[in-house]
Amino acid sequence: MASVAAPAAATRDRVPAFNLKWLGDALAHGYILAWLAIFALPFLATLSYSLRTPDGAWTVSAYQYVFGSFKENLLLSLQTTVITIIINLAIAIPAAYAIVRYPLPGKSFILSALNLSLYTPAAVMGVSLVIAYAFLFRIPQTMTGLIAAYVVGTFPLMLVPVIVALRDLPMVYEEAARTLGATRMQTFWRVEIPLLGPGISAGILLTFVIIFNEFLVTLFIAGPSTTTAALRVYNLTRTAGFQPSTAALATTMQLVSFAVVLLFFRFFGSRYLKGTYLI
Amino acid sequence: MTRVQLIDVTKRFGSTLAVDNVNADIADGEFVTLLGPSGCGKTTTLRMVAGLVEPTSGQIKFDGQFVNNVPPHKRNIGLAFQSHALFPHLSVARNIAFGLEVKGARKAEIQDRVQEMLAMIELSQYADRMPAQLSGGQQQRVALARMLATDPRVLLFDEPLSALDRNLRDTLKYSILDLQRRTRKTAIYVTHDQSEAFAISDRIFVMNEGRIEQAGTQLDIYLRPRTEFVAGFVGDNNAIPGEVVDLVRAAPGESGLVDVRAGGMNLRGLDPGNLQVGDKVLAFVRPENIEVMVNSSLAEEANLVRGHITQIVFEGPTLRLIVDAEGVSIKVTAGGLGRLTLLDQERRDVVLRLQAITLVRDEPAVAARIFAARLCPSTAV
Repeated sequence: MASVAAPAAATRDRVPAFNLKWLGDALAHGYILAWLAIFALPFLATLSYSLRTPDGAWTVSAYQYVFGSFKENLLLSLQTTVITIIINLAIAIPAAYAIVRYPLPGKSFILSALNLSLYTPAAVMGVSLVIAYAFLFRIPQTMTGLIAAYVVGTFPLMLVPVIVALRDLPMVYEEAARTLGATRMQTFWRVEIPLLGPGISAGILLTFVIIFNEFLVTLFIAGPSTTTAALRVYNLTRTAGFQPSTAALATTMQLVSFAVVLLFFRFFGSRYLKGTYLI
Repeated sequence: MTRVQLIDVTKRFGSTLAVDNVNADIADGEFVTLLGPSGCGKTTTLRMVAGLVEPTSGQIKFDGQFVNNVPPHKRNIGLAFQSHALFPHLSVARNIAFGLEVKGARKAEIQDRVQEMLAMIELSQYADRMPAQLSGGQQQRVALARMLATDPRVLLFDEPLSALDRNLRDTLKYSILDLQRRTRKTAIYVTHDQSEAFAISDRIFVMNEGRIEQAGTQLDIYLRPRTEFVAGFVGDNNAIPGEVVDLVRAAPGESGLVDVRAGGMNLRGLDPGNLQVGDKVLAFVRPENIEVMVNSSLAEEANLVRGHITQIVFEGPTLRLIVDAEGVSIKVTAGGLGRLTLLDQERRDVVLRLQAITLVRDEPAVAARIFAARLCPSTAV
């Protein structure tokens, strides 16, 4: 009897039944995918709009327009972003070093003061900058003015991750390098900068995403010759209505942002994270 | 090939005195250990020799040359850290090459030296691994190779083995000694582990509260502790309180003997030279220097004590006993085959022969300090 009954039982075990666990899994996955879709929908709508002619046919002519007429705006955006990041790095790394490694009176006050620009409403900042540029520095509507504004607004975003990384970096690497014969500068470039990689790359990413897409402050201080891509999208929508070419520019900006973030992780993120004290 | 001198070296951190007037003269090629509980100033002393900490006052000299104002990268020293401190972003080979690279050595020279070092630590096949891919012992060996690659004048070790497990510690400490003997470099080694200090040093400097309590060979430190702290800190010790009853004057050139009455026991030890009749003293006897006799009729002889075994722990090679002798609890470590007879539950009454008794003047503060010193190392690890 037993030998007959055993196969039947085994078969029953193998058949996946429609049970509560399966249902739970399906619901969980569905929930995640639904939110993903909701987040991606605006972008997908813009993308599809940019690929249509007014009578509904598919076309990429709007993108030819982007690379013809908007090329300058995109280049300006990229240029200001990169220059700002470089200036941010040049300020933030020595600043973080001083704040973390040296006894500084009023350290927390300095930190709060530096972060003030993050808490300033963009409109307030825009107005202050317009006034300051017009009467103090005489650089209204120039690229210098644009970059200066971006540096003031975003360098805390670079400073904070570097401070955190430096605080977590044990002094022992610095000391090992020094006893092995490295000067302070050699120690800095060969040991500390690479080990601060995670903090620095986090700062670069944050700054890039914010500045490349910065719009409100730009609105106040940009002139006809310094219209960034984000500002151009706004200007076009306001003056010419919502055209496929505007959608194409918006889509292009989105894709550039995406691509930069992905490339960054591909080339820097993993390399600097691998083998560090973080992993 | 370097003589290292510390002259009246003192270091204060704010109001704390970390190192208090330390004097040391370390000969060329000598292996010296700074031994002491955590917080005794040994690491600070080492870091001052390395140049990572600036002395508040005093002089540090290499071969008679004043080096206080020489920055660490120009002192040409090698420092091994407790955490191996290998650069996590560089491969094993690049780690070893680091010191040569920053000094601007030629590429071919660097390569040869790295190969030589890798062969020495027997890790040639791991040249391209990242430090995180090595075991703890391998990491520490790479750290040693990195430190030796630049051919430093002085080797400094800051508890390099304390993060490793016991077996590894035992093998590596002899590797370190071997490397030092082969390269004939002056070495200063910091540890709180006595067995490490005893195994590898030419001389041991026992430190406490920023001062050097005693400097001497292993035998000096073990058999002739000069201060209460050293007697209590180094090795295991029984501290039996008593009172001096008689001083036995010795022939010229020999130490005198002192008779001490401790509870019901008559003890006789070497005169440290500063005792008077009636002084309170502590008689230190090491558990391994006590002989246990089962079938002995007690002669009226000094240093023979009748007792009763209250606790037995069989540890394999040794037997640890607690013996209640005249109301005093005495720790005994019994070795030899004879120890096995003590395991017999019936034979609990024994006679102890206390040997190599060290007498030091009893000051109440000392006991507290020894107690604190014993607690600290274990909490630090």
